[in-house]
Amino acid sequence: MRGLQLSLNQTQKIRLQKALETLEYLSSKANSNASVTVADTIPVNYEDGVLKGHGTAENDGEVVATLCGVVERVNKLIYVRTLRARYKPEIGDIIVGRVIEVAPKRWRLEINFSQDAVLMLSSMNLPDGIQRRRTAVDELNMRSIFEENDVICAEVRGFQHDGSLHLQARSEKYGKIERGQLLTVAPYLVKRRKQHFHHLEQYGIDLILGCNGFIWVGEHVEAKDDMIEDRASKSEQQNAKSSKYSMSLEEQEKTYTPLETRQNICRTANAVRVLSSLGFSITVEVIIETVELSISLNLDIHEMLGAEFCVLVAEGEAERRRRLMKKKG
Amino acid sequence: MGLMKRKSLEGPSEESSPPSKQQRENDLIITDESVACVHDVSYPEGYVPCSNLSLAQEDSKPAKEFPFKLDPFQSEAINCLDSGESVMVSAHTSAGKTVVALYAIAMSLRNKQRVIYTSPIKALSNQKYREFKEEFSDVGLMTGDVTIDPNASCLVMTTEIWRSMQYKGSEITREVAWVIFDEVHYMRDRERGVVWEESIVMAPKNSRFVFLSATVPNAKEFADWVAKVHQQPCHIVYTDYRPTPLQHYVFPSGGDGLYLVVDENGKFREDSFQKALNALVPSNEGDRKRENGKWKKNLAVGKAGEESDIFKMVKMIIQRQYDPVILFSFSKRECETLAMQMAKMDLNVDDEKVTIETIFWSAMDMLSDDDKKLPQASVVSNMLPLLKRGIGVHHSGLLPILKEVIEILFQEGLIKCLFATETFSIGLNMPAKTVVFTNVRKFDGDKFRWISSGEYIQMSGRAGRRGIDDRGICILMVDEKLEPSTAKMMLKGSADSLNSAFHLSYNMLLNQMRCEDGDPENLLRNSFYQFQADRAIPDLEKQRKDLEKERDSIVIEEEDSLENYYSLLEQYKSLKKDVRDIVFAPRYCLPFLQPGRLVSIQCTKSDETSSSFSIENQVTWGVIINFERVKGRSEDDANRKPEDANYTVDVLTKCAVDSLSSVRLMIPKDLLPLEARENTLKKVSEVLSRFAKEGMPLLDPEEDMKVQSSSYRKAVRRIEALENLFEKHEIAKSPLIEQKLKVLHMKKELTAKIKLIKRTIRSSTALAFKDELKARKRVLRRLGYVTSDDVVELKGKVACEISSADELTLTELMFNGVFKDIKVEEMVSLLSCFVWQEKLQDAQKPRDELEFLFTQLQDTARRVAKVQLESKVQIDVENFVSSFRSDIMEAVYAWAKGSEILRDYGNHSSLRGQLDQGYQETGRSSSAANTSSKIHWRN
Repeated sequence: MRGLQLSLNQTQKIRLQKALETLEYLSSKANSNASVTVADTIPVNYEDGVLKGHGTAENDGEVVATLCGVVERVNKLIYVRTLRARYKPEIGDIIVGRVIEVAPKRWRLEINFSQDAVLMLSSMNLPDGIQRRRTAVDELNMRSIFEENDVICAEVRGFQHDGSLHLQARSEKYGKIERGQLLTVAPYLVKRRKQHFHHLEQYGIDLILGCNGFIWVGEHVEAKDDMIEDRASKSEQQNAKSSKYSMSLEEQEKTYTPLETRQNICRTANAVRVLSSLGFSITVEVIIETVELSISLNLDIHEMLGAEFCVLVAEGEAERRRRLMKKKG
Repeated sequence: MGLMKRKSLEGPSEESSPPSKQQRENDLIITDESVACVHDVSYPEGYVPCSNLSLAQEDSKPAKEFPFKLDPFQSEAINCLDSGESVMVSAHTSAGKTVVALYAIAMSLRNKQRVIYTSPIKALSNQKYREFKEEFSDVGLMTGDVTIDPNASCLVMTTEIWRSMQYKGSEITREVAWVIFDEVHYMRDRERGVVWEESIVMAPKNSRFVFLSATVPNAKEFADWVAKVHQQPCHIVYTDYRPTPLQHYVFPSGGDGLYLVVDENGKFREDSFQKALNALVPSNEGDRKRENGKWKKNLAVGKAGEESDIFKMVKMIIQRQYDPVILFSFSKRECETLAMQMAKMDLNVDDEKVTIETIFWSAMDMLSDDDKKLPQASVVSNMLPLLKRGIGVHHSGLLPILKEVIEILFQEGLIKCLFATETFSIGLNMPAKTVVFTNVRKFDGDKFRWISSGEYIQMSGRAGRRGIDDRGICILMVDEKLEPSTAKMMLKGSADSLNSAFHLSYNMLLNQMRCEDGDPENLLRNSFYQFQADRAIPDLEKQRKDLEKERDSIVIEEEDSLENYYSLLEQYKSLKKDVRDIVFAPRYCLPFLQPGRLVSIQCTKSDETSSSFSIENQVTWGVIINFERVKGRSEDDANRKPEDANYTVDVLTKCAVDSLSSVRLMIPKDLLPLEARENTLKKVSEVLSRFAKEGMPLLDPEEDMKVQSSSYRKAVRRIEALENLFEKHEIAKSPLIEQKLKVLHMKKELTAKIKLIKRTIRSSTALAFKDELKARKRVLRRLGYVTSDDVVELKGKVACEISSADELTLTELMFNGVFKDIKVEEMVSLLSCFVWQEKLQDAQKPRDELEFLFTQLQDTARRVAKVQLESKVQIDVENFVSSFRSDIMEAVYAWAKGSEILRDYGNHSSLRGQLDQGYQETGRSSSAANTSSKIHWRN
């Protein structure tokens, strides 16, 4: 219920309470004694020789948790996975970030981590798709690719020797994202999945669930396969951009997002908001379900943030999980 | 295939004019027949060639000009490069493919683009690095051992490094415009070939390629594949041209002359080949009659008092001034023994000797004092005198420094006669005037086989130095009766074609699964393997249709009842066999296999099918003469006496004893004299004629032999029932039953064949390796490397980093805490088990602590293998476990401790080089282990 500031009436309060209790009950059944708080002893069999991992320490011959969370075991390795922590990047994560600085040969991005991430100019494909060494001219033109405050989607490439975190954009689908909303949720709500890019065809929107808790909901963009063919038009575009205010009519036409799509974007964004305020883990399936629920109830977009819908979502989730448990037996 | 193809084989006679619009690709003018090359282009489907690109380049200067006139194939390939399109150059080793690579590099440097040059061998990479560095200066080198200037525009690296760069998403992958794959025919290598496929499939979309390869007949296929995978045109420039023509001679062992078999125009001379074979000293001359594998001893030892063949050969070569010469043999040991026999010979003059000594010692000064002190007796003390006489040895077991010295000496012409293994034939450009094959057969892991024409071409390619010799000489030492056809195949056969050796590895799967859009299936779909399988389909379809037609053309009347009869027959036969198996189980029949017993023998001929359609079996009677156990097995080695032969036949395997009679003859103990045999034979025929009417009294299985088993009785009853059925069967009376059955049998066989082809088609239309991929994913899930929806977990991320050892076993070891409390030396020593493959004869048994670690390793490996087996990955558990060898654990332990390993291990000097390699490998895998352990401690 954290961060949930809703004016609930009495019945709603009770209903929500009940739904959350059901959820707690269901989850406690699944992993009862795996969760620990600081200074809890973690039972181990010493004869096997354990490997103490993150969040554990040895005290008087016992393994003790130094963090609150869930105990995870991988063969002999024991570590504590914290329930709520800052985002910690892993190689291959898909993240969404915001450019905060254009530095020599690199952009600096805020990605919700304890340090800023670095996206090298050379880790980006050039806009025209040509393979070559980056020149000084390219460096000067970096702002034509990303500017400050642009929202970018990229992949974590790894930590360099100096400890800085580097990103990369492997293909065309990474890069600047426009015409949509950036939402910030607690990073632990986004689980690592095989797919983080989702195209919701029925709504004509793209959904990017960044592992760092930045979620992008925006108008769908067709991934361009061949950048070479419209090289000419691209350069024109760049010229147009440099003189920002003289945006041609055509350009406006191109960037126009239909009202319906905008509504869909807002609806989906609100669904994410509701889910994150309830503290439910955010997956594309749950988001779609929530959106559909709101549509079936004929709710207006703004009503989705109201108390009633929130309770309904909680109840729905509780019901869903109960069914799931039953199925498993 | 759906590719658009155009072929233009240029020659004076070629008249077909392609559409004028696309003239550009086709205008190849060949001036000289002998240096002709074939130029061909593969276009991806739906590709529209854009011509304006080339126009822009037309007026610009070539990126590099060469001081000599280019051969047609070179200028053709360079034209393709100029128009910015990929090219595959397939030509002989010495033809000058490097020119193309040089041009590509020069062009990229001019355009401020990065270029990567990859080669399969470290030594070759080093050589090329030096070469390019001299030429361009902006060159870097990256191999497993060293990294020099990784920011240079031109990077020389091994293909493995390039692959891992692509997985890691190195920034270089976004800057590289041209990738040069040298020796791309390495792709057919069983172990490493897959690396080429991976790196070609994953290569950046907009980069262009230069493939340099030895002559391969299916270059076109390869180019088609590249065109398809990368959606870009790929040119093929193929030439058979050798700058120095080759003459092939045969030297029959024991003889003393050379016979020209293939002349410089490539004509095979049958007559002189026959003469050469006739000159072979007959092989059954006493000491020559030995096992095939041991024959080389003769070559080495020679007949007492006489010079060995190899000595004669070298003498002849020197006399005829055919030196320098490379003598290839297929084992390190043979190489050395052969060289030792040359000890008597001296090929160098005095001042050359001085030079050699200076070079040798200045190189050896690089070695540490410890190394110099060591009693590497056979290396330093034996090698130098040999070298001074102009004789060298080169194989992978030598110390790297020594190898390098020998290479230098050879290039300087100070070594006249070099004994080398096959490795010398790959890559490094070190030609000689003459190449000798001391052996025409090679041991390839499990058996001896003739060397293939491809190998022959590769090795003989070392003969003839461009610009020095007007022809290269190639001598084949033949010792066995070599069929002219085999020889022709070897000498004149086409090069090995380029076939995919694709296989899956866990590291590959994990790396692919870790990427958001990486998908192992995608890699499979784009692999050359899949491409080749797809290609084979139309062919298979045709075969199937033909067979089906053939089958349908066979018409048999009364087919149904005939079929019925046929199946009855089959049943009858299998039952009979069951009965026989029971009765002749050693348990029952052993007591009756005494000498003198008459047995009926079923002759299983190769053309059995033709005679086996009647119920009656064709049998003959014989008498057991001798019976004894063979090698503890209870197989009966009965020397019997077929009545139509006058001597005993001791081949039992082809015949099977059919039944035992109750008659036993008295036979003389000594059967060697002819008389005794004839006597016995007479007796046998007498008995046979006596019992001719009522048939031979047989031993009754149940009463006499005490066979008591219910299955036996059941089988006998069913046989009786079947016999009844046969009699009743109407078709049995038909006069042509035999022929009809034969036809039916043929038809059945055709059907079976069709089924087989259908299955092949089905498996190749489906994704190749699909089942294995599934099984391997199952393994990863079971061991907790990935989740059920293919998200790579902690263990998987660790395994991703391990590329030079068995990733699963090592990861499991790590997570089982084996490495937790052990010392660095022990750790290194344990890791050595992952890289050491060979068996050492005098390997020390590891001490107890190490032994304990090794057992843990074996346990883990066994567990991993079992999980794989359960998940239906084809694996032999024990084989897998024993692939980890503890042979050098002790040595590595000592090395890691920094003790003077050399004092202890220097005595097996030839091992030193191998050990060195082993250490490097170990170092590499330990650094991999290091990075991966970092991953989990950060957690």
